[in-house]
Amino acid sequence: MPPERLLELDNVHVHFPLREGLVKAVNGVSYHVNKGEVLGIVGESGSGKSITARAIMRLLPKRAVAPEGSIRFRPRSGEQYELSALDRNSRAIRQVRGQHIGMIFQEPMTALSPVHTIGTQIMRTVQLHKGLSRAAARERAIDLLAKVQMPRPAQMVDAFPHQLSGGMRQRAMIALAISCDPSLLIADEPTTALDVTTEAQILELLKQLQSELGMAIIFITHNFGVVADIADRVSVMYLGRMVETATVDDIFYAPKHPYTQALLRSIPRLGVDQGRRLPTIPGMVPDPFSVPSGCAFNPRCAHMVPGLCDVTVPPEKMFGLQMSRCHIAEQFAAVQEPAHV
Amino acid sequence: MSDIPATSAATLPDDVLVSVRGLKKYFPIHAGWLKRHVGNVKAIDDVSLDIRTGETLGLVGESGSGKSTVARLMLRAYELSEGQILFRRASGKVVDISALSDREMRPLRAEMQMIFQDPYSSLNPRMTLLELVGEPMVIHGNSNRGEISDRVAELLKVVGLRPEFLNRYPHAFSGGQRQRIGIARALALNPSFIAADEAVSALDVSVAAQNINLLQDLQEQFGLTYLFITHDLGMVEHIADRVGVMYLGRMMEVAPTEQLFSNPLHPYTEALMAAVPQPDPRGNRTRKRVPLKGEIANAANPPSGCSFHPRCPYAQPRCSAEVPALREVAGGRQVRCHFAEELSLVGAVA
Repeated sequence: MPPERLLELDNVHVHFPLREGLVKAVNGVSYHVNKGEVLGIVGESGSGKSITARAIMRLLPKRAVAPEGSIRFRPRSGEQYELSALDRNSRAIRQVRGQHIGMIFQEPMTALSPVHTIGTQIMRTVQLHKGLSRAAARERAIDLLAKVQMPRPAQMVDAFPHQLSGGMRQRAMIALAISCDPSLLIADEPTTALDVTTEAQILELLKQLQSELGMAIIFITHNFGVVADIADRVSVMYLGRMVETATVDDIFYAPKHPYTQALLRSIPRLGVDQGRRLPTIPGMVPDPFSVPSGCAFNPRCAHMVPGLCDVTVPPEKMFGLQMSRCHIAEQFAAVQEPAHV
Repeated sequence: MSDIPATSAATLPDDVLVSVRGLKKYFPIHAGWLKRHVGNVKAIDDVSLDIRTGETLGLVGESGSGKSTVARLMLRAYELSEGQILFRRASGKVVDISALSDREMRPLRAEMQMIFQDPYSSLNPRMTLLELVGEPMVIHGNSNRGEISDRVAELLKVVGLRPEFLNRYPHAFSGGQRQRIGIARALALNPSFIAADEAVSALDVSVAAQNINLLQDLQEQFGLTYLFITHDLGMVEHIADRVGVMYLGRMMEVAPTEQLFSNPLHPYTEALMAAVPQPDPRGNRTRKRVPLKGEIANAANPPSGCSFHPRCPYAQPRCSAEVPALREVAGGRQVRCHFAEELSLVGAVA
């Protein structure tokens, strides 16, 4: 791996053998995260964005199989882990989780233990990974709560999750996730359940922590506004594949995949008159048992070329740092104007 | 006491379909082992609102602001504590439904319907589409099976589902399709007024856009009037003709959509708009975004004076002492702020 790399996924597959057939939830995903950058991953439900993140943490459901692909990870400490080779319960992965990779989830109420105070939950993590004493761990928990701007941290350390509001719970979860100074934070829809005002506070906090602690973030969301706000680079997923990866500006102002373009057009935007009807993507995401042949997006694509798009899977085409998995991506190369104007 | 003087009972301006006046909903708090009544949660505290025939009125605000409660009160799903709800029936007669008994209310329910947020919990998984969409007709006295099944098939077609799906169960459908089933059910009795409570919030971007277009088509086709509740300001700007902004059980501002977004008059409206991250990375970098501090207050113990004053960047001593009234200002707009005329606030639209 190049020296600036933190995490590299290469052709990762996650399949679910079900009675109804084989579901290829993640079907050959490759991406990387550099040290200290924010990678946004967007996609609709069922695109495989969360499952990919869980594959990194080895937190996949037991019935999932990962027939190919490698996930390499090199945290700040320098040693390199081949995460894809680790067993979900191995000693090595338990060191990586919590210590080198923190994770925050959409619903803090289900991710935090309801029967322990948030202080206890943070203390256990730092006692385990950092070998601190109880008293030192409690100090650290209070510091962490202060760092995530929890009001009255010295008292809140003894609060149970149900005593906190949604925004405060999310702060507690962030405190827990960063408790061991991880090199990577995986944030899976962390603001989806929050109000816009609270969302803005949490995004601000994450940006601040990211620059302070120098950690990288994989930020999974379906909200293009959020990703525009926080990400340095963005990957767009559709039906288990990465269809486009580029810098945040290229994704929003020069998208080279018809799916990205169509998604951007269908969001109602403040201050932009989009006419009476919103442009939509025809049809719906196909069910995972009958993924179309060729490019999975071809039945819904306005630029579909018969005989090509419905037959062969498009290769990953590179345009500088921009990757598009579209047969006719060159055609969009000239687009410089924002796609929505 | 209502801020806007109520005209004599059961009259409405000609262009108004539904009007609520001085609406209040208090939930009692009981404490101690005697469960004595120690106070009230003022979920809705003096809301007055007119919805005009054929328009879409958007209602926005944070969770806990009372937007859903207003909708549920308007449909009499909750008992109101105080206030008037005037509704113009299809016959043209205006009735005050706040005082009607359940039995008297029943025929009106055909004219006022609701679409819910969660397409999973709002459809009974043991009922087929025929039963789900046909149930309102059965309840309202139609027992002709053939007629019901024809009508359901027609409704499914109207919302873009295939009539052959009649005998399927909801589990066979995606979230967006389930939402359409909910819409078909709401349409079953030819209502004139539909309250859509976060009707597209649970859906993916592309599906939400399809369903929003469907709602707009139906509005045109059947002359529907919508109360559209959402926390998505981009969505409300797209669909609503006028928008009401709620905070802690009170209406803070009501304005035509364009004016609200270009020229908000209430600091809370400005703060809400500033908080929305835009799908525009360059714009986000240059836009001044000061996140609103703190969280919405506890409705059981609201702040004195203007309920927004602890979070308001423009608050002055008067704001904590005196409750501002929802008052009319220039251009027929309504705002609940002492200093609406003096502040020059920034909207989301240049």
